[in-house]
Amino acid sequence: MRRWMRVLRTPLGLAATVLTVGVLVLAVVAPMLWSDEADAVDTSNILAGPSGDHWAGTDNLGRDIFFRTLVATRLSVELALAATAIAVVAGLILGGASFLLGRRSGRIVSAGINIAVAFPGILLALFFAVIFGVGATGAVLAIGFAGAPTMGRLTQTLVASVEARDYVAAARVAGVGRVRILVRHVLPNIAEPLVVNATIGAGGALLSFAGLSFLGLGVQQPKYDWGRLLFDGVGSIYVNPAAALAPGIAVLLAGLAFNLFGESVATSLGLSSAAGVPLRADDEDEGNGSLTTEGQPATSSDDTGSDLVLDVRDLRVTFPGPSGPIRAVRGVTFSVRRGEAVGVVGESGSGKSLTALAVSQLVDDTGRVEASRLELLGTDLRTGGPKAHRHLLGTSLAMVFQDPMTSFNPTRKMGGQLAEVARHHQGMDRKQALARAVDRLRAVRIPDAEKRAKQYPHEFSGGMRQRAMIGMGVMGNPALIVADEPTTALDVTVQQQVLELLRSIREADDVALILISHDVTVVGEVCDRVLVMYAGKIVEDLPAEGLATIAKHPYTRALVAAVPDMDTDLVRPLAVVPGRPVDPSEVPPGCAFAARCPLADDHCREVEPPLATVADGSRVACWHAGEPLALDEGTGELVEAEAR
Amino acid sequence: MSTRTANPVTSSELRFEDVTVRYGGARRSFTAVDGVSLTVPQGAVVGLVGESGCGKSTLARAAVGLAPLHSGQILLGGEPVPHRGRRRPLQMVFQDPYSSLDPRMSIGESIAEAIPPGMSRAERRAEVERLLELVHLDPGRSRVLPSALSGGQRQRVALARALAGQPQVVIADEITSALDVSIQGAVLNLVRELQRELGLSMLFISHNLAVVRYVASHVAVMYQGRIVEQGPVAEVLVDPQHDYTRELLAAVPGARSTPPTPRSTP
Repeated sequence: MRRWMRVLRTPLGLAATVLTVGVLVLAVVAPMLWSDEADAVDTSNILAGPSGDHWAGTDNLGRDIFFRTLVATRLSVELALAATAIAVVAGLILGGASFLLGRRSGRIVSAGINIAVAFPGILLALFFAVIFGVGATGAVLAIGFAGAPTMGRLTQTLVASVEARDYVAAARVAGVGRVRILVRHVLPNIAEPLVVNATIGAGGALLSFAGLSFLGLGVQQPKYDWGRLLFDGVGSIYVNPAAALAPGIAVLLAGLAFNLFGESVATSLGLSSAAGVPLRADDEDEGNGSLTTEGQPATSSDDTGSDLVLDVRDLRVTFPGPSGPIRAVRGVTFSVRRGEAVGVVGESGSGKSLTALAVSQLVDDTGRVEASRLELLGTDLRTGGPKAHRHLLGTSLAMVFQDPMTSFNPTRKMGGQLAEVARHHQGMDRKQALARAVDRLRAVRIPDAEKRAKQYPHEFSGGMRQRAMIGMGVMGNPALIVADEPTTALDVTVQQQVLELLRSIREADDVALILISHDVTVVGEVCDRVLVMYAGKIVEDLPAEGLATIAKHPYTRALVAAVPDMDTDLVRPLAVVPGRPVDPSEVPPGCAFAARCPLADDHCREVEPPLATVADGSRVACWHAGEPLALDEGTGELVEAEAR
Repeated sequence: MSTRTANPVTSSELRFEDVTVRYGGARRSFTAVDGVSLTVPQGAVVGLVGESGCGKSTLARAAVGLAPLHSGQILLGGEPVPHRGRRRPLQMVFQDPYSSLDPRMSIGESIAEAIPPGMSRAERRAEVERLLELVHLDPGRSRVLPSALSGGQRQRVALARALAGQPQVVIADEITSALDVSIQGAVLNLVRELQRELGLSMLFISHNLAVVRYVASHVAVMYQGRIVEQGPVAEVLVDPQHDYTRELLAAVPGARSTPPTPRSTP
């Protein structure tokens, strides 16, 4: 219901709503209030022009046209709604029939609808009007059935989209009958667009009625609707133009009201379905990041070794949200050395992808990136805006995304797309660049690279496309490759090849790697060091080989124990992290993990633990780091081990 | 390869006999499943592994009647699997819990819908509560919409709905692959628990060998529409006979001891 109320927030929506409600109220009250005035015959004042007594003049019996127009609202609206109801019901039956009848008979029905849709509506209406006879009933049926094919087509399309969803398949598997599925699953999920279109259809029906009555095929004397008044008024248009104008304006206003109302509802519902999806901090689109340089200027180098590829201090990424800012990344500090592979793990929404995007300056325009230091190869990325560092980022940093299909232009050949990088950033000519592209494709182990370079992205398999993406990244001589879930969309065997490729590139050219993944085992296999992120912060930073042995944060330990590997104990349950991940718009005070943590106490819930360096150089943010945990054999939850 | 034996058929054994599924017209047809024979014995969990596009999901959809059979038959307890009527002894849990639950229906209604007819309103309500409790969800939350639940909780609702149909066999199609790792464990624990406590038979489809190893007792490896190897998990994963199985095993993350040989073709 709240989504429907959003209609009222736009000026157009508000106006349309007021107008529609006005027309409906008028339809109800006008006959009660003004029937007598409208029917009062005044033979002394026939076909008069507008005057103080009769605002729109009088007709051939001396009746007041203004009041007649008001009173006619009811019949006009009633007829239009009745016709719309017929159109909707007939359309639902037609559109639902192809769902109920199964594939073959359904095809015949939809063929019939397609043919019917091809006829102009007014032609159908005239045809039906002749069949059903002249009069109000005939006209209602005519306009109703004329609108049915369009509604049928709409219903059919909507039904087909819902039919493909898994919950319909699930209901079928559960043995729910087709009629029941239609009523319980399909109709509720297509109701909104149907109602909207019916409202717009009502506006159309109103106009069609005016048309039919005007042609004399609609309402007959002594009843009258707007079309009838128009028909009568046109005869005397040179004597009293107002007699035709008054019902004409009424038709215009009412038609406009219904149409605009329907359109505004459609817009607001459409908008809400896009805005209703909560902003997931994890999957932001590629875009130019805006970087603000708030916070203190970069402090003088204290431990900046010359082999630092990336140095990040107190990185924050914030998005505006409906209820306050969404703090997706809340102060992340880490550095990557030359040739080092750093893994970043965490659940969706933990801010791991955004951290990477912030480093590559790809955070969406709406996002605010702040850091007290953000240096790539010693260059401060916070100053000068995104354009200043385009060359540095283009040559020194390579980004590999999860879905290689959307990372390439489907209409251009692979070789050309790779070559573009070299032409743009390294100033190579066409031929050199293409040669380099082929060389790089070979480097990422794409067989028959010369031939492949002339092919289009869709001719590559998923794994090959991902390798080509990496090839594109190494067109220059990057010092850092940022790979965001590079293997999640790939099969295990292909995943292994891609990981192997990343490893060999790293070893050959001493390239640093940031590998973002939700899979602890993948990260543990490829990386030297692992950063574990939770609710926009690093909670633990430790050597990858120590994941299973020396991890101290309860979250890291639970993550590792939650994933089965080929050596997992088959008798014990897998570890479970109870509860839900933190919503980035409502980060609690204290330790963000406290609500799900078996070791948490009041201190944890009040004071946020700092990321402190522990003995062996790893860092951990936990007040109870390393305290013993035990696995509850019943529930799989990690519990505080009994102190011995 | 075929497990067609002379054994007497037990009451709820799911058996695929030489099943072929083809898509497309006669001219340009695509064989998604090619002569697959596979048995899910009563009370056992059989893992079905293979890469995407190898036909494992199509096989599952054919079993529940969502994909048409070209040839062969799928038997449950010796009878063809019924695809009509209210009683469906073969149930399926889908991969994506975000699309397999009707967003407009409360989770209680979704579960109740799958309960076979012949129960009073009160009995149905009690049954829904029992099922929710079985999958470790608060029975008091039966009126909430799926949007109020996390992915793992939704998948548990989907499991409860499958169980509501009082199935003899459940097909689970990649039920953990759309979930975060931290939640995966909970769903896998539940699958094992249900199998142990209810003696549920299950065809567990996954591309993750470590997951299959954890929940299944038997495993079948599918490659390009065919089953290339099947047997007890302990045998197939320890002593694989087919090249593709070996390749799959080598690709499991963490299996660093056997470096994969770089292949020239994808």
